[in-house]
Amino acid sequence: MNDVGGMQGFPPVPQEPDEPPFHSDWEAHVFAINSALIGRGIYNLDEFRDAVERIPAQEYLASSYYERWLRGITTLLAERGIVTAEDLADG
Amino acid sequence: MSADHAGPAAGPAATVRRLEALLEQRGLIDAGQLDRVLGAFLARASPDNGARLVARAWVDEGFRERLLADANAALPELGLSMGGGIQEQRLKVVQNTADSHNVIVCTLCSCYPLALLGPSPTWYKSEAYRSRVVRDPRTVLREFGLELEPGVSISVWDSSAEARYMVLPRRPAGTEDLGEPELAALVTRNGLIGVAPL
Amino acid sequence: MAELFRIGDTVRARRVDPPHHTRLPRYARGAAGTVTDLLGHYPLPDRSARRLAAEPEPVYAVAFAAGELFGEGDHTVTIDLWESYLQPAAEEPRGGDTAGATSLPPRLRRDAPRGRP
Repeated sequence: MNDVGGMQGFPPVPQEPDEPPFHSDWEAHVFAINSALIGRGIYNLDEFRDAVERIPAQEYLASSYYERWLRGITTLLAERGIVTAEDLADG
Repeated sequence: MSADHAGPAAGPAATVRRLEALLEQRGLIDAGQLDRVLGAFLARASPDNGARLVARAWVDEGFRERLLADANAALPELGLSMGGGIQEQRLKVVQNTADSHNVIVCTLCSCYPLALLGPSPTWYKSEAYRSRVVRDPRTVLREFGLELEPGVSISVWDSSAEARYMVLPRRPAGTEDLGEPELAALVTRNGLIGVAPL
Repeated sequence: MAELFRIGDTVRARRVDPPHHTRLPRYARGAAGTVTDLLGHYPLPDRSARRLAAEPEPVYAVAFAAGELFGEGDHTVTIDLWESYLQPAAEEPRGGDTAGATSLPPRLRRDAPRGRP
């Protein structure tokens, strides 16, 4: 669902004047965590993009940008046995 | 279910807190440092950097040529660089002229010169922008309030690989007496992407 | 790796639809364009997304006419493309394995093994 260049049917571009760099702390932290994990070699940027692209289409479209990032990160961590879905749920 | 529990029904904020705690336990991140690292990133990477480059290019023809020929080599002249991120990316600066206008996109995700300009605007990441600007840039620019003369050709740059792009807008008329800081103050993030004249 | 193409060459984006990560946008596949720049040498992301060995290969800026891409429009779209995504324009549009000889079938790819591959 990411390969949307030229695809028809999308609405006018949503604009938000003077928006902040991140809309919430959790989004900023997702950005920072991703940089940290890539910097440590847990996964590379191509693997990250691939994990985001593997989100099922309907969930992908229903998710915000950083929700997709979070999903990609947790998928990669689960596939590597570093943090599983059960680990996340035991909060 | 309480918002504090990070199960499938938890909001992203709770999930992120839980994830940070787990990653710290496993020694993979220093959760206490995340805000400091973010602050440092946002302090060094912002559209102000792009504006300074544009202002210098406007007043110094030699710098303009160097910026267009090899932006990575020219950035250090202003104390700037594309480093500081995961790896230093190649920057290409494309200039607007009287009969050509440039606009930048990443149709496949949202690639952007983050290391120099900081985070991209939310609209840049949207499916609406990414799908439409390659097919009908003139209409998309019009939605941003930019109406180009019919004789102006449009070049759309799709950042699909490792290079990152920034637009060098045209210097507006009547600014001959302005110094670099005043010129830089005219340049906006949207202008550096190409959806505004400045 | 020596470059196959030079600035000014007409090239065609391969007509492929891989089941894996790729950076060849769908809207460019099968379209002919002109090489306008050589951007450097980088490993093919189709392979590095699966931690397959990938020698750095040339990446070109290729300018396409909007009419060639969409059948309408008077603008140009320049896309940065790895050499593996391109063929000489004189050849008939065809595919090619953009991930090299060891692509995994989709079923296996989506059930990726635990731990580092």
